Amino acid sequence: MNPRRFLGGVALAVGVSTAAPAPAQSPEGGAPSSAVLVRSETHFRLYQRALLPGAYGAVVTEETAAPIVEYASVSALDVDAPWQKRSLDFELDVWGSATFGEAGSARRMDGDVQSANIRYHTGPVWLRLGRQSFAGGAARYARFDGASAGGTLPFGLGLEGYGGLRVLPRWAERPGYHQLGAAVEHLWRDPAALPDPKRQDYWLAGGRLYYDSPNVDAGVSIHEEHERAELAHRNLGLDLRADLSKRVSVGGAGVMEMDSSRIADARLFGQVTPVRELDLEAEVLHAEPSLFLSRQSVFSVFSTDAYEEAGGSFRLKLFRELNVIGNGFVELYSADDYGVRGEIGGRLSPGRTERTVLLITASRVIAPENGYRALRAAWRQRIALPLYSTLEVYNYFYDDAIRGYDTSGVYAGTLEWKFTRELSALWGSSFARTPYAASDLQTQLRLRYASGGLQ
Amino acid sequence: MSALRASALWLAVACALALALACADRSPPRFPHVVHLSGIQCGGRGLPDCLTCNTCHRLASEKRQAFPEKKLCLGCHKPSESSDLSVSPPRNVPDPIAYTIRFEHKKHLDMPKVKGQCVPCHTGTAYSDTALFPAMERCFQCHEHQAQWDRAQCSPCHQRKEMERIMPQTFARHDGGFQRNHGLAARQQQKLCQQCHVQQQCDDCHDVSQDLSVERRRPDSIERNFVHRGDFLTRHSIEARSQPARCARCHEPSTCDSCHLERGVSGGRISGRNPHPPGWVSATGGDPSGHARVARRDILTCAGCHDQGPATNCIRCHKVGAYGGNPHPKGWKSARGERAAMCRYCHE
Repeated sequence: MNPRRFLGGVALAVGVSTAAPAPAQSPEGGAPSSAVLVRSETHFRLYQRALLPGAYGAVVTEETAAPIVEYASVSALDVDAPWQKRSLDFELDVWGSATFGEAGSARRMDGDVQSANIRYHTGPVWLRLGRQSFAGGAARYARFDGASAGGTLPFGLGLEGYGGLRVLPRWAERPGYHQLGAAVEHLWRDPAALPDPKRQDYWLAGGRLYYDSPNVDAGVSIHEEHERAELAHRNLGLDLRADLSKRVSVGGAGVMEMDSSRIADARLFGQVTPVRELDLEAEVLHAEPSLFLSRQSVFSVFSTDAYEEAGGSFRLKLFRELNVIGNGFVELYSADDYGVRGEIGGRLSPGRTERTVLLITASRVIAPENGYRALRAAWRQRIALPLYSTLEVYNYFYDDAIRGYDTSGVYAGTLEWKFTRELSALWGSSFARTPYAASDLQTQLRLRYASGGLQ
Repeated sequence: MSALRASALWLAVACALALALACADRSPPRFPHVVHLSGIQCGGRGLPDCLTCNTCHRLASEKRQAFPEKKLCLGCHKPSESSDLSVSPPRNVPDPIAYTIRFEHKKHLDMPKVKGQCVPCHTGTAYSDTALFPAMERCFQCHEHQAQWDRAQCSPCHQRKEMERIMPQTFARHDGGFQRNHGLAARQQQKLCQQCHVQQQCDDCHDVSQDLSVERRRPDSIERNFVHRGDFLTRHSIEARSQPARCARCHEPSTCDSCHLERGVSGGRISGRNPHPPGWVSATGGDPSGHARVARRDILTCAGCHDQGPATNCIRCHKVGAYGGNPHPKGWKSARGERAAMCRYCHE
């Protein structure tokens, strides 16, 4: 793609965004019959300079010159079809980037379509066609080009199904890198002989049968995914959530990997809200990491080890201005090997108007081989109505030094001018000193147009 | 520990500064409605007329509160007090979301059940600890809307384009452990989620193939619990070991090596550093360094570098007939036969 054409595309996206049509008015009551949501984000990464420890301890200076990334989204909801009112939804979400100067291993021009689909809904049934995603249950999170459909049945039951060609990971097409690994891998004898992935060999399909009532939601789902025309995942999922009372909920979800007949992960949780000011949650998780790998990975046959995690979280509204949050979890990898992670923090917002928000968080992680303590302070200030700012500080203290350093820090800030509710310009910068960067300075400018509440 | 002290000092200074600014917040206090509505002697001989809501708030607009003009206050208050009168809406505050709700005040006030009274809904005028705008549950005390609720049909009361600005206060509240549970909620309450969110908002975080991570796109969203916040680059190996399955929920193992290659720290690079200690893999078939034990416990970390399909160096030792021995752990099984393509790498 040539840069002029790309910039033209960016301008067109911004133009489309700002010239989005007003929602149509329904004849009765003056309420909008459809909604058009538009978002355009242009990121100018103005400057980046990092001093990175390279191979054998050499310090390498890395500079990036002005890549531009544009994200554009348009959604039209409840649009009238010729045969039925308020029955169509459209979604289009794309991004593109251009790198000026030294592109390194990145492409000079790049881009992708994240979603592009049309959804028809009438009464209890719906159908979606195009690039879309399906989340939850046995599918976890799947993006594909294809169709999905669903509908409600009697007795609170419902059925959903989907199928299509997988959206291949873009890294499969990076120069010098292939679906099966790096071309420079020393055991790889003939990288040029590696065939390009065929779209039709990468497909997925699945469905979910569910029960939905005011107090109970439950579902059973299946998901099958193929890569290189061979089985990658065959999952059976179960999910349940029940509101035992207005203040107590319990639930769980699990995925069984059918090829090996083992549980990939399962989670049980309970939530209690004894008083409006206090939320409590406890949960238990079981996971077997190797079952997250594709069945086409050689590594999927090397391990059956699992780990468990148990813990909980709370949110306490001490005063109208002060919330305290915290969580703590213990991971049990084996009888003599465990990990711990926990966090406690507060949110302070004096006054009625949330003009100032202050967050303080302290956390601790103990993991196999290393761990860290972390402090975070974040501060948002509405300086005047159109002018907002944020400041964030992160400090980490590692139990064991990483590359000879046992601390790291990141300092970031933004300044945003909201020209209107829809249009804003944000300038953000960050400075970091980490084991991997003696000094890393970045700054970017973001122009944003978001209408229809789309954030 | 000096770094810790310096850091703590820095944080303390930042907090003190933020608190000082917060205390300087000059947003006006809430208007003393109760005093004006019930604390003033009125109606009798020689007394002023009693105030009602409509005395000050004429329904000039169905959506916006009609703020009284100052001269109305001067009917009772002395002009010398006028500098203290705060009868304008707070400045520098975005419009409340309540303004976007489609609601016909006049129609409601004319209903026999309401009898022209404002306070039953706007309880905040009588009780200072409740909001001036009624919660949705107040609407549901009269309107059942069960059919619409079942269909997750929020419009036309809520404007669909404004839905994302509304944070649920009771059902589906986005607090506490919501982030951990939102995947389950997204599946089970899909219809409800779609009232406020479109799929592209899922992709903002979950589409790992995009050029900028969501943390870089939203540096101003300090209250979002982004996974890769702060110095994630340094702590990513700690996080991956702490919760071995978590990375694999979004990333494929090839992501690891792709990034390591770019940064010149992959074993695949000529200059790449071998992270394993000497004797990590014993050529004699024994396992003195425990690479098998580590692999069993955290296979995804191994896969991060070595998952090269048939080119992986694991096959060289562990294929049938080689000296590495059977890599399948006890209890391992597969429904596929050895004719599956991946199995044939070792079982030729």
